[in-house]
Amino acid sequence: MIDELRLERVIDAPPHVVFETFLTDDGQAAFYGQDDPGWVLESNCDLRVGGIWTITFGSSHDRLYRHRHIFRVIDPPRRLVLATTESRPDGSSFDFTIEFTFGPQDGRTLMTVTQSGFPTEELREEHGRGVPNAFARLARIIQARA
Amino acid sequence: MHRSVQHNVTLDRTFFALSDPTRRSILERLARGPATIGQLAEPFGLTLNGVKKHVGILETVDLVITAKVGRARECRLGPAQLDDATGWIELYRRAWEGRLDRFGAYVEERR
Repeated sequence: MIDELRLERVIDAPPHVVFETFLTDDGQAAFYGQDDPGWVLESNCDLRVGGIWTITFGSSHDRLYRHRHIFRVIDPPRRLVLATTESRPDGSSFDFTIEFTFGPQDGRTLMTVTQSGFPTEELREEHGRGVPNAFARLARIIQARA
Repeated sequence: MHRSVQHNVTLDRTFFALSDPTRRSILERLARGPATIGQLAEPFGLTLNGVKKHVGILETVDLVITAKVGRARECRLGPAQLDDATGWIELYRRAWEGRLDRFGAYVEERR
């Protein structure tokens, strides 16, 4: 059963470097940036548990996405958990949880990004919008249909 | 512009339809073959009306189609627009992969 979207990458630097870099303005800009000319990126980060990091990005001012993250866990240099709302240019939005982990691997770092859906069914029903906890559900149905 | 909005409404409805565990179980059951409303109700301990409601939601996004067979209503998997939904997820996954790659390259360049 796949209940989440998980991505990983080995980065050639130790975990504390990767973790600290991720929380700098430039690191966040690298994460959300693009080489496209005219790419819009505005970030405002209050780095503390319960703090809000808002980042707006997109190919132009009329095609902007926004991630509003609330820091749930800050555990240097191992783990970050964010409660996130993604707002899209079409006006839709949805909530999900993002967990970043930074594991040591022979002097390098295995960085993982895991996204999962709404924390509770109730909350999702209450919000009644967007693309709730989509990945797994869809994967499971597609597997069942195959 | 209008098309894009329409597209997203369908996508939202599809994801909403998939967001409920009972509805997913109904789809998993139908993936093994058609079933009547009564047959679907049994394993879930649901009333016929409860199942009808769930099937109705799945029907609006073509995940399920129903037809009257004798006195019963038979349900089977529909022609659903799962291509749109899977396409959306694929784009989403690629966007996050790109972020991870760019960030990794940035950290490595700084060293």
